[in-house]
Amino acid sequence: MNKRLIAAAVFAACVIGTTGAVTAEELPDISGTTLNLYTWDGMFPQEVLDGFTEKYGVKIQYSNFDYDEDMLARLETNGASEYDVVIADDYILKMVNDEGLSEELDKSKIPNYDNQNEAFMSLFYDPENKYNVVYGVGIPLIVYDPSLIDIEISSFEDLWDESLADNVAIIGNYRVIDGFTLKTLGESFNTEDVDKIREAGEKLVTLAPNIRAINDTNTQDLLLSGEVGAAFMYTSQVTLALRTNPELVAVYPSEGLGIGTMAQFIPKNAPNKEAAYAFINYLLEPEVAAKCFDSDEFGYYCTNKPAEEFISEENRQYVVLPDDITWESGEAIQTISDEANEAHMEVWAEFQAACGA
Amino acid sequence: MSMDFSGTVSKGRKRKRGRSWTLLVPIYIFTLLFVFLPLIYMVYLSFMTKAEVWGFENRFTLENYKKILDPLYLRTFLNSLKLALISTLVNTAVGYPYGYFMAKLEKKKRDIMLLLVMIPFWTSELIRLNGWIIVFRSKGVLNLILEKAGLIDKPLKLLYNYQMVVFGMIYALLPFMILCVYSSVEKMDWKLVEAARDLGGNAAQAFLTVTLPMTMPGLLSGVVLTFIPSMGLFFVADLLGGNKIVLVGNVIQQQLTKGRNLPFAAALSVVLMILTSLFIAAYRRITKTDQLEGLI
Repeated sequence: MNKRLIAAAVFAACVIGTTGAVTAEELPDISGTTLNLYTWDGMFPQEVLDGFTEKYGVKIQYSNFDYDEDMLARLETNGASEYDVVIADDYILKMVNDEGLSEELDKSKIPNYDNQNEAFMSLFYDPENKYNVVYGVGIPLIVYDPSLIDIEISSFEDLWDESLADNVAIIGNYRVIDGFTLKTLGESFNTEDVDKIREAGEKLVTLAPNIRAINDTNTQDLLLSGEVGAAFMYTSQVTLALRTNPELVAVYPSEGLGIGTMAQFIPKNAPNKEAAYAFINYLLEPEVAAKCFDSDEFGYYCTNKPAEEFISEENRQYVVLPDDITWESGEAIQTISDEANEAHMEVWAEFQAACGA
Repeated sequence: MSMDFSGTVSKGRKRKRGRSWTLLVPIYIFTLLFVFLPLIYMVYLSFMTKAEVWGFENRFTLENYKKILDPLYLRTFLNSLKLALISTLVNTAVGYPYGYFMAKLEKKKRDIMLLLVMIPFWTSELIRLNGWIIVFRSKGVLNLILEKAGLIDKPLKLLYNYQMVVFGMIYALLPFMILCVYSSVEKMDWKLVEAARDLGGNAAQAFLTVTLPMTMPGLLSGVVLTFIPSMGLFFVADLLGGNKIVLVGNVIQQQLTKGRNLPFAAALSVVLMILTSLFIAAYRRITKTDQLEGLI
């Protein structure tokens, strides 16, 4: 018994020793250093972060921002020299890349690079795939409780149905809400045509009688507690709602979707670029990516194709994008001119006032 | 806040001020650093230009103030004033008698009442408002009781409307009114009321000519402490109004966060401060009160 134990210990030591040696050969020694990670709160299960520290001996310093704009401002003021890996939203990534705040990636240092879902590469913020590695995708959807409403919802237009009076909750993101109204008029989320935006605004005001609450943070609670029969909300909230109450129905509105992409980049003057590459590569490992998306709190669509098979059966239905959802069924919400944005803000304020009247 | 409301307390000591001015230095420094300088900064900010992504540029503009004249924002100001007036009126109607009678109770009962008014402050206001949501929501406590009692057959939609925001404001601010009135009634010299009665005044006359004027400073503090926050407590409108009721406080908060327009938020704040100051000044003029009760 004792001998076997010793043998096992020796064997284990050998295995650890050899793997250690292999890693050391492949990668520069980064153990003992710190990786400065900068993104929203709650983007990773602790297990994933601990796994990286264990594997590479690199401590992770996880800093948060609430708004993409805070991140950009921070990068601008510190010359992109404070953080090693940043994850942010598509529209702000365009600004980051345009301003030259991101490092052009050396793909030889990211062996897992090809695990990215091609559908979410070469996007508007990085058409030549120079700077970014996609992390996940969000698509706000309509979710309804069939026991609380009388109609079947299949489109944004259905939200205007009179039977839904005072029975709909929506998120408070003006570009998305004004945007889906534009969609019902056959326009793009990103139209620069101020007249079209105002026309959508007039239509949006007529949605007010159906709006019970505008809520950005816990929209799913309104649906789950029976306060409303239908809600239009962010992907993470959709997943949370469906997980809690499988009777709920999620709808991919027929007019077209707003598809939001989150991607990673290495700031231009990152202090620990080697660790940054190691981290990006680590997150692209199918098993690791699966862990990120297979958690109960997260709930965005996975953009790592090989990871999909590692996601539990139960969660797969929520976090693996249906095959028929492609860029043909939606578009990204991009930055528009100040003038158009101003029109959007006004439309939104009018709408909010109409809801309260 | 303390120095603003300490008028009554410091009055008697005015003569000694020459000797003990050194004691006041910390207060002056505090006021300068945390009240005066931020105020100057805010006024300065309100004349600057919004930067494209974040922050502001040092370019003078009147745009921010012009924007407030937009009917959309004017309407928000009017709505906020209306809500603040309603909330202040109800708070006065309920809080004044409450504080008055509380001060007249015997000590033991009074202490208990005082404790009951104070206890809610031990919990965060946000948590208390969320508590009300649990009570009022569709499948909430109140609807459940009404349904079980057979008074309604389908849940009432109580949350997310104007009335609920008014309720939330009153709930959040009533204790301030009660405590202000209480503190001034408690300090009152009742012999004066007795004298009024002895001289032939009836209860109502005694109240109107003696009690009310003497407790006016307390009432005024109460009005200040309920009227001003009523225009700014954006989270009450957020939580109980479902983001549908927009107060000036909400606009400021939105411009600071999602709108990323710091200068406009500053301009709104400046206008809000001027407006509330005018209202308080008008109130003082009308009621001829020149002091605030030194409660808080």
